[in-house]
Amino acid sequence: MNESWKSYQTGNFFDELITPKGQPRAAARGAIRLLQQLPTEEMAARRAAAELAIREMGISFTVYTEGGNIDRAWPFDIIPRVISARQWQAVSDGLRQRSRALNRFIDDVYNKQSILADGVVPAEVVLESSNYKAPCAGMSPRFGVWAHVCGSDLVRDGDGKFYVLEDNLRVPSGVSYMLENREITKRVLPELFENYSILPVDDYPSKLYQTLASLSPRERRRPCIAVLTPGIYNSAYFEHAYLAQGMGAELVQGSDLLVPDDDCVYMRTVDGPVRVDVIYRRIDEEFMDPEAFLPDSMLGAPGLMRAWKAGKVAIANAPGSGVADDKVIYAYVPDMIRYYLKEKPLLASVPTYLCMREKDREYVLKNLDKLVVKPANESGGYGIMVGPHSTAAVRRKFARLIEENPRNYVAQPTLALSTAPTYIDDAVEPRHLDLRPFILQGKDSWVTPGGLTRVALVKGSLVVNSSQGGGSKDTWIVEGKV
Amino acid sequence: MTMLSSVAERLYWMARYLERAEDTARLVAAYNHLIMDIPRGSELGWDVLIRILDAEAAFYENHRVGNEQNVLRYLLAEKDNVSSIPFSVRWARENVRTTRDVLPEEIWEQINELYLYTSDMAEKSVGRRNRQAFLEQIVNRCQLINGMLASTLPRDHVYRFLKLGHLLERSDMTTRLMDVGAGEILARDGTHGAIDPLIWASLLQALSAFGAYRRMIGPLVEAEGVVEFVFREASLPRSVAFCLAGVREELKPLSNHQAALRVLDRGRRKLSRLDATNMSRDELHRYIDEFQSLLSELHQAITSTWFHPDTP
Repeated sequence: MNESWKSYQTGNFFDELITPKGQPRAAARGAIRLLQQLPTEEMAARRAAAELAIREMGISFTVYTEGGNIDRAWPFDIIPRVISARQWQAVSDGLRQRSRALNRFIDDVYNKQSILADGVVPAEVVLESSNYKAPCAGMSPRFGVWAHVCGSDLVRDGDGKFYVLEDNLRVPSGVSYMLENREITKRVLPELFENYSILPVDDYPSKLYQTLASLSPRERRRPCIAVLTPGIYNSAYFEHAYLAQGMGAELVQGSDLLVPDDDCVYMRTVDGPVRVDVIYRRIDEEFMDPEAFLPDSMLGAPGLMRAWKAGKVAIANAPGSGVADDKVIYAYVPDMIRYYLKEKPLLASVPTYLCMREKDREYVLKNLDKLVVKPANESGGYGIMVGPHSTAAVRRKFARLIEENPRNYVAQPTLALSTAPTYIDDAVEPRHLDLRPFILQGKDSWVTPGGLTRVALVKGSLVVNSSQGGGSKDTWIVEGKV
Repeated sequence: MTMLSSVAERLYWMARYLERAEDTARLVAAYNHLIMDIPRGSELGWDVLIRILDAEAAFYENHRVGNEQNVLRYLLAEKDNVSSIPFSVRWARENVRTTRDVLPEEIWEQINELYLYTSDMAEKSVGRRNRQAFLEQIVNRCQLINGMLASTLPRDHVYRFLKLGHLLERSDMTTRLMDVGAGEILARDGTHGAIDPLIWASLLQALSAFGAYRRMIGPLVEAEGVVEFVFREASLPRSVAFCLAGVREELKPLSNHQAALRVLDRGRRKLSRLDATNMSRDELHRYIDEFQSLLSELHQAITSTWFHPDTP
């Protein structure tokens, strides 16, 4: 075993690859043995090769700062995370179940509202939310599906059990990094692949294409699909371009589109206007159409909502899908599964205290130092307070915020997030991580084998967001014995 | 196939910037070579390069004298002036970054490597020692990218708009070179006749056309011969005639090409009227001036027809 691994201690957390006794877990055995035999210099050389590949492949993400936007190289850890296919199957089934229930819910609240009438979800939580988009009421997209692409964040607790932390139903991002991470591992650690049967991830763009094509309002052999990006300076622009290329779709900005009086959407091309059938929207709905939402948005195209409501174009995710992407609604997902599907939830949710409930609020305010407090409506890890890592001043600030606007805050117990061996400087050390798989829902549903593993590179940190010092790992779902 | 107007425009500019980076590197390399052969006191300064690139106003804003150090820094290392190699490379890359979805994967990697190379090396390459190697690298890497594009892209709109940008930029640079040849010698009124052939030869070298010239025209390098050759020799890839023929070929399959074709055909007719032997230097200079404004008209026609047409 090389030096870097010798002092590896799993600590009090569930480690993805190493048992508490220091042995590799079954699915990871082959990879760990090989990595442990690589001489220290060789490990460093592989990491340098990965960094070079990232630079050359131009895999970057944008960080917004006050001093302007910075394009940073994608942070990547060369040690893959390994999960057995058998274990993954259960997670995947659970995710599909969730996606079905969430879509039933969105379709319901914009139409019959039976779940509200039956009192399963309080009506005011939905109807008074800024995520509820009144212009969407009465719409019924094809297959009753609104959220065609869902990115759910999963974590594992101390016992190794998977929990859903949140469902991102608006414009979830990260899938291109999942694909590139595999590409990099193939380049820099090709020998790892020799004795493994690792489920491939690179058919994602074609699965996405199929999902989107199934939504086309016109029956065509090859519907015209456009990926709508907010533009070349958006942090996920790299991904938008990547997916457009992978699908053979057009990558458009709002200024490339027009919606004349016939309510159809056209792209401006060198041969004149060409009609678009499906828009894969990577822009928040508020900015999507100045005619329907924010009137001074420069990013969207006027008339998109009009076209969508006239059934002349499909939009994925459908405008209004965000109504289910709210940390208060999250607490009701298990109830939704029972209500719509008459099934037992297959995947656990994290117990969630809703500050709008008086009893929950009292508990939260008394236990701020133990809980994670989150705004109901933010993403990217912003505005979160991790109780055990907080100062008294921060706790006072959050107490005030909660009392001012209880509907906007939820709290959850601090989970003992799982760790995995991560190559830091010259040693391999445990770091906390999460996992974002992507669920596609059109005529059929499909889950990525694995997903994007994000890892908190700072020792002890639980914040995995790349904008806040997080890195990532290739994620393997492996079949059979190794 | 469909091609967004905005994408067509970025492809066109990507090709222009890539060609500009290569042509600027060629120009500096050829001039660098020439200057070593020139006798002291012949008044041939480095500022000629600034004049060729039409950059006098911008250059003298920040530099007092057009000496070797200043001119080379301006063209090789300064990132923010429009005539520098790093500037062209950065914008070629930016345009690839924003059209990646229609270009082969490898192109992005190659342009990215070119960009990283330029960022790392430009500053160190101003001095004579590394200069030539740097310029060669720039030319080679640009050629590699152009070669990859030529050997992998289907001959559709993507290729078409790249080629339009590429050829237009190239004919622009070729006419600039000729103008300087004409202008430079004109200014000195033939008093340094001995170095004229050297200047014309270096201009041919900047176009990689010296060998072809010797084989097709002969070993004696004379102004009239060079001008005619470089403007009119249809088989020479860097001649104006060759570029315009290529532009015509790509314009024809495009819809609404009438306006652009009209300008182009005026250019071709003008080309056929060139008679360098019977033109005074003044007339030649005027001719080249007119030709350049024709090229800019062609650029305008392409822009207004395909990139920014009025909304239908």
